[in-house]
Amino acid sequence: MPFAKKPQVFGASINALTLGTGDKAITLGGQNVYNLYTFDAPIANRPKIGIDVSDDPQQPSPGLAAFYEGCTTLADRAKKAASLEDVDFVCIRFDLADPNGADKSIEDCVADAKAVAEVVDKPIVVAGCKNTSKDTELFGKVSEALQGKNILVLSAREEDYKGVAASAVMAYGQKVGAESAVDINLAKQLNVLITQMGVDGHNIAMNVGSAAAGYGFEYVVSTLERVKAAALGQSDTTLQMPIITPVGNETWAVKESTAPESDNPEWGDQDERGIDMEVETAAACLAYGSDAVILRHPESIKTVAQLIAALM
Amino acid sequence: MALKGLDIFKLTPKTNCKDCGSPTCMAFAMKVAQGAVPIEKCPHMSAEALSTLSEATAPPMKSYKVGELSLGGETVLSRHEKTFVSKTLYAVSVCDCMDEAKQDEVIASIPKVDYERISERMYVEMVYVNHSADKSADDYVALINKVKGLGRPLVLGCTDVAVAKAAVAAAAGCDFILNGADESNYADMSAIATEAKVLLGVRAASLEALHDTVEKLEAAGNKNLILDVGTASIKDAYANAVQIRRAALKDGDRTFGYPSIVNVAAIAGGNAHMEAALLSLFTCKYGSIVVCSEMTYAKALPLYGLRQNIFTDPQKPMKVTPGIYPINGADENSPCCLTVDFALTYFLVSGELERSKCPVNLLISDASGMSVLTAWAAGKFSSSSVKKFMDEFDIAGKIKSRALIIPGKVAVMKGEIQDKLPEWDVIVAPNEAVQLVKYLKDEEWKKSLTGKSAGAGAAASAAAATEPAPAPKKVIPAPPIVVTGPYKLEDQVVTYKHRDASSNRFVVIGERIHCISPAIRKAMDSYDEGPILKRAAEQIAAGATYLDVNIGPAESNGPELMQWAVQLLQQNFNNVPLALDTANKAAIEAGIKVYNRENGKPIVNSADAGSRIDNINLAAANDAIVIALCSADGIAKDNEERMMHCHNMLERGLALGMESDDLWFDPLFLVVKGMQDKQMDVLNAIKAFSDEGLKSTGGLSNNSNGMPKHIRPIMDSALVAMCMMQGLTSAIVNPCDQRLMETIKSCDVFKNNILYADSYLDI
Repeated sequence: MPFAKKPQVFGASINALTLGTGDKAITLGGQNVYNLYTFDAPIANRPKIGIDVSDDPQQPSPGLAAFYEGCTTLADRAKKAASLEDVDFVCIRFDLADPNGADKSIEDCVADAKAVAEVVDKPIVVAGCKNTSKDTELFGKVSEALQGKNILVLSAREEDYKGVAASAVMAYGQKVGAESAVDINLAKQLNVLITQMGVDGHNIAMNVGSAAAGYGFEYVVSTLERVKAAALGQSDTTLQMPIITPVGNETWAVKESTAPESDNPEWGDQDERGIDMEVETAAACLAYGSDAVILRHPESIKTVAQLIAALM
Repeated sequence: MALKGLDIFKLTPKTNCKDCGSPTCMAFAMKVAQGAVPIEKCPHMSAEALSTLSEATAPPMKSYKVGELSLGGETVLSRHEKTFVSKTLYAVSVCDCMDEAKQDEVIASIPKVDYERISERMYVEMVYVNHSADKSADDYVALINKVKGLGRPLVLGCTDVAVAKAAVAAAAGCDFILNGADESNYADMSAIATEAKVLLGVRAASLEALHDTVEKLEAAGNKNLILDVGTASIKDAYANAVQIRRAALKDGDRTFGYPSIVNVAAIAGGNAHMEAALLSLFTCKYGSIVVCSEMTYAKALPLYGLRQNIFTDPQKPMKVTPGIYPINGADENSPCCLTVDFALTYFLVSGELERSKCPVNLLISDASGMSVLTAWAAGKFSSSSVKKFMDEFDIAGKIKSRALIIPGKVAVMKGEIQDKLPEWDVIVAPNEAVQLVKYLKDEEWKKSLTGKSAGAGAAASAAAATEPAPAPKKVIPAPPIVVTGPYKLEDQVVTYKHRDASSNRFVVIGERIHCISPAIRKAMDSYDEGPILKRAAEQIAAGATYLDVNIGPAESNGPELMQWAVQLLQQNFNNVPLALDTANKAAIEAGIKVYNRENGKPIVNSADAGSRIDNINLAAANDAIVIALCSADGIAKDNEERMMHCHNMLERGLALGMESDDLWFDPLFLVVKGMQDKQMDVLNAIKAFSDEGLKSTGGLSNNSNGMPKHIRPIMDSALVAMCMMQGLTSAIVNPCDQRLMETIKSCDVFKNNILYADSYLDI
């Protein structure tokens, strides 16, 4: 019997979500096939790549420190980051706002965000400091300050989704990312709760959890796969939001990426290790269902962009 | 893949000739589908139909061994459906087109990456030896002879028939694959591979051509194949890898039911980072062998970790090898932090310890891969297991510090560990791993030190000698049994009504006397009968048939505590039948000694097909019922495994003279949040027990773990109804859940286990 291709095209599709404005705006999702399966049907919006820029000037590797050399402010770094050709959007992260750390004020964060918006014309994604009460206020104020920029605030969690979604989307017309940690039931529940508030599901992206390869990544794999299977295979509208996965902040925190070469000479150059950890984790996320990944190293970004281009 | 009766019916002659002994072809087909009669019983099946049938019942993907390495055998496309069978293997490519120096360099680099990660050796499993058309057979043979020295299985990449012949001769004596068949040379290549008894790699210009070529090879009798996804482009290779696997597993196309080989060295364009990306991509989807140009630690560290994650059993926890893990340059004078061998716990704790920048010896003890609290409740992480670990690994000999920091969640073990390890200072850490950073940085643990040390000089030991030994934890002797007279709950007298042990009614085992509840744990610690009697009364009033009595590991006073609890409950409640629930065997035996059987035999909770199988012997020796968990080490991966465990335990029980009715099989109920797609397996297992006339039980409400309080009774009730339909005869549940109890009573009516009356809910 001759081989007959059986394309797996679904009746349902992933929501198309646009971030940013003007000719630098990008669209995530929209496909009616599994991620990267261009052999099943054309994929209009290739997966996107963001760059992670923290307000903490500390860099995890010599290569990253060299890349940002001369940059003194978050805006400087964001501008430098956005200048990379393969970067589709810039994710600014307010690590220093953590009340248990530097406890940077909301006003300073907002000023930072405004300064970034002045010098960056690519879409902006905002990540907080992981402290839910601080983040709620931070996201609200940044959403207000950047009204009209069509930004995405990354974290509406079980604890703070109400405040975040109400301010970011309902008050200031931005987009919101529903964040859960490798728990598919919670991922769905959050989307249900946020839409029940009156937010259109088409304004929501999902961060369903992340991990570095080797560090419980199997949970990320299964969550991504099952979300896409439910969204497309079961036409589950509460899971059809595009998935955005922060990769760099996970991979640049494990010892494979942070240990200096002197710790383990046979492991070789630290940046090379960190890049491969980031690239391999990102490739796996894309294969299993992420519609966008957020990376840190310019070389990782270049490589993942080449990979995506080669597969489209 | 199991065939349905109707599919088989279509292949029968449909003449209803009765030669097979069945009245109609339809009836015959149905029996074949159930496995009741072999297909050969029908003398009129065509050869074609028979081969279609054997094809359809064959596994969807072939599996092979190359040396010790396994390839193929997959049945699913996603890891959450079922465990993958054969992990992706990695090969480094060396070519006769390279100059000698380059060849030697590549060969020398191959053994460099070789390390262990969570009990698995990580190394380059194979070598891909490539032949370039402009080189001679001699060049190729010379290279093969060189590579053979590595002692690893080879993949010979060569499409020239004459060269392949020489290469196969040269490779004799080592394990190898011949990757060289294409649309034009397949017949000759197949002959060479078949003669050498090796797998043959097949490639073609398109998927259609590959399919045709494989069909021709199969027709010629060669089914020992591996499919090369090609090197035309990244896009092509990926499309082929996915479509080949999907055709085989999802669409049942046996022609593509072979492992795959992906040569990323040939499509990465000499870009090392791109090669890393492709290694990852094809590990995810769906390379059986992935070939790269070089394996460095930079590529390997994430890659092997990723592979380990993807190819683990989704239902079995990853375990770290027990032992001492020095962190932040810890030495023998650094304090010890103790935890369990669950991989996620290990990563979490070691990560936080690293962040603290304080040198610490992380001690990983064997707890069957369970998390701290689960292991403690199951008796896998106890003072005895800690003592055993400390002795086995000679921690006191290897480490001089005497600070032993234990997880805050098991603070309750401190006394028992301290008794067993008097030379150590047992210190309780904070509850959560993230709190460890501050805890260590601020040296809070030092506050609990009493100056114990090993060989730290004469002065210290002299000081230690003069110090009085800490008093061992006082074991309170069990007080006499208090019988309160008729027990009253809100002015209603609660009595246990006499029960006919042979009744068919559903057996509700009340789960609320459990040491994981703080109130009960406290009551058991101090022999305080109040809270225990109250919970017993509530459950009996709500309709419990049996009460489960979980006393925890109770290492210091198990027998005494169990005897006290058994007598307390039975004497107060008209000999209510009990399930004795602890990892402590002596406690169970002691409990049975004082147990009154008026309302039913005691239940031993529980045995399994693994380390706790001896509890079947315990039940047999004491004429007790035993709850038999159909698992060995972790949750069974499918019903085939569940039934295998069931039959093993059944056989053992019967051999020991037990009645089959006294083994209650537990399929292990799974959490919907997390294992939603495995719920039907559990239900089908119950049906399988029931079909074999076996009794069953289990912790049914586990299904709704983690759900909101108001949802749980709804889910539990729906599940119990489905389970009772499947033949479940008992469950370990909370009888105070009214909706659940009403559902059970109603199902008992439908099952004709009890005669209906308007007031059936009240009786």
